[in-house]
Amino acid sequence: MAVIEVRNINKSFGDTQAVRDVSFEVPKGRIFGLLGPNGAGKTTAIRIINHILIADSGTVTINGHHVSPKTQRMIGYMPEERGLYKKMKVGEQLIYLAQLKGLSHSEAKEATEYWLERFEAADWYNKEVGELSKGMSQKIQFIATIAHEPDLYIFDEPFSGLDPINSEMLKEIVIELREKGKTVLFSTHRMEQVEQMCDEICLFNNGKAVLNGNLREIKQKFGKNTVNIEFEGDHSFLDKLDNVRINNRSTNFAEIRVLNGQHMQEILKTAMDHAEIYKFERVEPSLTEIFISTVGEDNINTKELG
Amino acid sequence: MSLQQILLVLKREYMTRIRSKAFIIATILIPLGMVAFIGIVIGISLWDSETQRTIGIQDNTEVLYSRLNNLDEQQYQSFADLSEDSLRSLVQAEEIDGYLILDESHITGDANLELVSSGAGGLKLQSSIRSDLREVVRDERLDRADVSEDVKEIYASSVTLETRKLTQEGEETEDDTGFLTIVGVIMGVIIFGAITGYGGLITRSVIEEKTNRIIEVIASSVKPIELLLGKLCGIGALAITQMTFWIASFLGLAAAAGPIAGMFLADQMSGMEDAQKVAEASQGIDPSVFTIPTIETSLIIYFIVFFILGYLIYSALFAAIGSAVDSETDTQQYMIPIMVPIMVAYLIMFQTMENPDSMLSVVGSLVPFCTPIVMITRIAITDVPIWQIGLSILLMIATFGGTMWLSAKIYSVGILSYGKSASFKELIKWIRQG
Repeated sequence: MAVIEVRNINKSFGDTQAVRDVSFEVPKGRIFGLLGPNGAGKTTAIRIINHILIADSGTVTINGHHVSPKTQRMIGYMPEERGLYKKMKVGEQLIYLAQLKGLSHSEAKEATEYWLERFEAADWYNKEVGELSKGMSQKIQFIATIAHEPDLYIFDEPFSGLDPINSEMLKEIVIELREKGKTVLFSTHRMEQVEQMCDEICLFNNGKAVLNGNLREIKQKFGKNTVNIEFEGDHSFLDKLDNVRINNRSTNFAEIRVLNGQHMQEILKTAMDHAEIYKFERVEPSLTEIFISTVGEDNINTKELG
Repeated sequence: MSLQQILLVLKREYMTRIRSKAFIIATILIPLGMVAFIGIVIGISLWDSETQRTIGIQDNTEVLYSRLNNLDEQQYQSFADLSEDSLRSLVQAEEIDGYLILDESHITGDANLELVSSGAGGLKLQSSIRSDLREVVRDERLDRADVSEDVKEIYASSVTLETRKLTQEGEETEDDTGFLTIVGVIMGVIIFGAITGYGGLITRSVIEEKTNRIIEVIASSVKPIELLLGKLCGIGALAITQMTFWIASFLGLAAAAGPIAGMFLADQMSGMEDAQKVAEASQGIDPSVFTIPTIETSLIIYFIVFFILGYLIYSALFAAIGSAVDSETDTQQYMIPIMVPIMVAYLIMFQTMENPDSMLSVVGSLVPFCTPIVMITRIAITDVPIWQIGLSILLMIATFGGTMWLSAKIYSVGILSYGKSASFKELIKWIRQG
């Protein structure tokens, strides 16, 4: 059964329609990636799922219940704009936030102590958050999100602003959560993170969900029509290729999407005439390529995609 | 709405603040600051009154100067042998503060007296000279008219007014109007200060949650209205705690102050050489019964009611401001529409002090945004008809409903909008949207 079921939701702010007729399902026990450029409507959709915003129309259910204060307690949510009370002590703060999620004081205290121990942060219990370093308070933020041990976790742009150590730690947490059978939904505009972690995806553009489903299936559907080429020498030959789209180009690497069924050997020949080839590989398209070919090159700002 | 969530928020707001050093220091320092301020004001006026002024007198009548000298030896100095020009130069050199030339015509006729002065001493000096001259000229005229002692005594006597207040129950009581006016104004000022002070605290607390970016974490667990109510009640509870502490220490001090002040005054009086003055003074203030008149319990209850309702009406608006702006520096433009009614109420209060039953006072005390400040002053000073009190309370409750509704709409949108402060136009949109 789907943990989150989003059905035809719409949401407008004044004249701008942030979410248009969006539907998707998040299956249980999977990592679900919500991706798209900034301003595509991801955060609005997430806020609706969290019952922070109310959709103008359409329905959202969590484990079969319509969104309500009750479903909020089933979710551990880490928003994109995140923070803590600076003048409150770590322990008190975590207890307070867990209590707001419905835990009793003693349960909240127990959970707080357990997680602080787990993150080797037990001696921060009586420190004010303002005294902590940025990396330390990010850890406290994770604990605040997961301490009430819900079955569903939602992270909005979780990797933005994280230092590399915490970024790695979060990845491990997410994968560990899936192993425990929990469901994770996260949003990002960085495609490579989705490629590495997600089972299911939903692509957002201009408030619409343009593509959704199992990542592997989607990739297979697009076929092995992409070439990754590594070379040394003059890279201007790339500009001479016709009927291709080049993503991810650098001085010695290019990801070439072959259009109109052009023969890939032609590309290899042209390349060999101009440069020394280290690697030539036929692969499934990257998510960036899938995204571009789904919404059309003219409809997106490619710079927004990482 | 979940009461449990509201209570959790309330508890946090209250507990984190009451333990903070800033709060404890403010609780102690604010009354000390006020006492110091009053002390400085009194000190300044005492210090100022001791300045000695000198008025040169050129007496051509030979009788008026000695009379003036009897009234104030220091202030009036005779310069009979100097010319008017020399007197002028003395004034210019600031050796004397002014001079008067007294002629027979001033006693016999209606000729106007002329004070030439450097302007030092101001109105206070002028009025003291005026009354002194009136007295000496009158006495001299009486002497010359050769009237009987009886008539002189009539002129010398003064009338004192003692006031007693008749209550509606027909009881005649000591009239404390003067004291109660002070109490009423103090209560009005306290409510004024509390609304603006705690209101500012609420605005800052909302802004803090926005700038700390914790608001969305909280919003994923708590409804905006629950968060808002919890916050208002938590800071309200804090206000009541602080007030209770102040009132208790004030009453404690007042209880101790009577006897202490009495002792202090008795000491001073026995130190005075003029025995007659002691006798006179003691009649006015008997050290043993020098206590502060009692404040009726009903007045204290009204004070608490108006304080709480006033706080609620305004605090909802202050919270809305906090949610609409992005940083504290942007609050100014929104504060104006809120501060105007408070300031109006504050100004009406001073009219009420002098005339508690005037049209302005009655209307002011019934307009909900002014009620808490104006009505408490009226109630303290005069017997306000019970229907007016009842009506004002009902109107305030209704207004609180209104401001809360308005504020909840702005708040629930405002807390999630980052990056820039909303314009008034956007606020209206938010209210329609909500």
